[in-house]
Amino acid sequence: MSERKKILLADDDAAFREINRIILESNGYLVDEADSADAALRKLKSEHFDLLVLDLMMEDRDSGFRVAYALKEDQNLKELPILMLTSAPQKTGFNFRFSEDKDWMKVDSYATKPLDPRELLDRVHKLLK
Amino acid sequence: MRNTRVLVVDDEEIIRVGCQRILSDMDLQVDGAENGRIGLEKIRENPYDLVLLDLIMPELDGMKLLEKIQAHDPDIVAIIVTGFATIESAVEAMTKGAYDYLPKPFTPEEFRVKVNRGLEKRRLILEARELRRERDRNLLELSNEKTRTHTIVNSMSDGLIVTNCSGQVVLINPVALKMMRLNQKAVIGKTVDDLIHNDGLKNQISETLEKVQKSTNSTTMQIQTRDERFLHSNITPLLDENHNCLGTVTVLRDITEEKKVEKLKSEFVRLVAHELKAPLGAIDGYLNLILEGYISDTLQVDDMIRKSRNKAKALLNLINDLLDLSRTEKTEISKTKTTIDICTILHETVNFFENEAKEKKLDLQFGCDKNLPAIQGIDEEISRLFSNLISNAIKYTPEGGVVSVSAKMNDGYLAVAVQDTGIGISQEDQKNIFEEFYRSNNAVTRKISGTGLGLSIAKKIADNHNGYLELLSEEGKGSTFRVFLPVKKD
Repeated sequence: MSERKKILLADDDAAFREINRIILESNGYLVDEADSADAALRKLKSEHFDLLVLDLMMEDRDSGFRVAYALKEDQNLKELPILMLTSAPQKTGFNFRFSEDKDWMKVDSYATKPLDPRELLDRVHKLLK
Repeated sequence: MRNTRVLVVDDEEIIRVGCQRILSDMDLQVDGAENGRIGLEKIRENPYDLVLLDLIMPELDGMKLLEKIQAHDPDIVAIIVTGFATIESAVEAMTKGAYDYLPKPFTPEEFRVKVNRGLEKRRLILEARELRRERDRNLLELSNEKTRTHTIVNSMSDGLIVTNCSGQVVLINPVALKMMRLNQKAVIGKTVDDLIHNDGLKNQISETLEKVQKSTNSTTMQIQTRDERFLHSNITPLLDENHNCLGTVTVLRDITEEKKVEKLKSEFVRLVAHELKAPLGAIDGYLNLILEGYISDTLQVDDMIRKSRNKAKALLNLINDLLDLSRTEKTEISKTKTTIDICTILHETVNFFENEAKEKKLDLQFGCDKNLPAIQGIDEEISRLFSNLISNAIKYTPEGGVVSVSAKMNDGYLAVAVQDTGIGISQEDQKNIFEEFYRSNNAVTRKISGTGLGLSIAKKIADNHNGYLELLSEEGKGSTFRVFLPVKKD
């Protein structure tokens, strides 16, 4: 790897940030953290990141979507790949239907928490290719 | 059957007594009157079937008496007995309602024939009267039955639509009109196709009509109306005894409220699932890191195990709170209220938290007014309510602060205040603070663990006791939760 890729972890749960940071760092990535939607947007606008790992439910149940939409409307950031994580499975009646929302494609990958380390790395590799 | 009663009105005693004897021999109940006035009095007092009357009498003559009898009861049969029988007086008496006349002198046989004919007439009159009464009664019942059905159909809380075999609406009650947003006048006789906008319901009724010969099963479905209400519909085909189609009956029930509760419930389940999953996910993540060799440093491993244990504890607390929450909701059925002395409960609760306060170097104060009245309540719930408030106060008050608990009377209510000099609650958060799983999110609160259920449980308990919870708070200065509970009335 000629240049180390930089990843931002946006999650309001410190445990998930810590766990994912350890996994990603031990695989050679540079990692930074944000604990809210606003903090994530601030960091993304001031520094360069190659990937955003984004928790769906932070302070609000859809703060993750809010971040994703804001990024896709930003000329400089709309190409940034996003890995969306959530612990809200569809089964419980979560009010979002990916197939019906054309805006959904703005997020590049979607996974249910907790994510197995290999699964996380696999998705990150794909998005960074 | 009662005795047949006959009255003989005649001023000639021989004739009167003679007639009475013949009548008695005919097994009739007989009375006599020697003039018209006494005759009328008797008629007004007793129910006579037949009256025999003389035309020429003192005080009140036969013709006048006849008129009075007619006015009193036209169904009494009157027979004129007169010694001065002329065609004229007989005709006049007949036109005034007499049934027959008997000229004096007469033989007992002639008399009996006239009386029997008169009684036969009377029998026919009574029979006719009875038939008429019965007919009237039937008509009344019929119209009552119709009114009754109408009233029942119109006062049903469910909507009712009846169609005939060609799909025309033949009956629709006001609730159904309202549900379908229809106007009464423009409905009867129109077809379901023209009237009902909801495609699902329309098709279902049509289908029921199409296969009415084959299937007598009713079908149910849920429909959503244009004004966002949910209806449950049950459509039943109507057949006569020869299996000929009569039409359909549709019953509509508004289930919007049930749907709302359902939605709230699934919303809550989703929230709970999220809250339960987060700590478990973290534990799973930490264990993965350890087992898959991402960390090897013993200190780091210890740290992760400790963090996992804390997550497990948080999970246990959450499950306990959830159980408490569901327990407070079942109060009405499962628990009986007892008389409670609030000061005792508060004292015990404050004692319980003394060590925790000491560790945080907090000044935990307690004051209870003397002679406070008792309240009616569930002991463990009341103590849970104050534990939740005191535990929060300790949690959100920095070292060196003060937490005070006091009870006094206020406007007919027992008022317990739990006051702290802690971080306070922002105006924005105050709006939602009693909602399940709502937690203030800022730099300080993030480091404090909590399930987000404590205050909603406290509020539910206050509600269960017909009381209420009040919050006064300013960011940076502290919060006061005040619980108002109604006192027991003797």
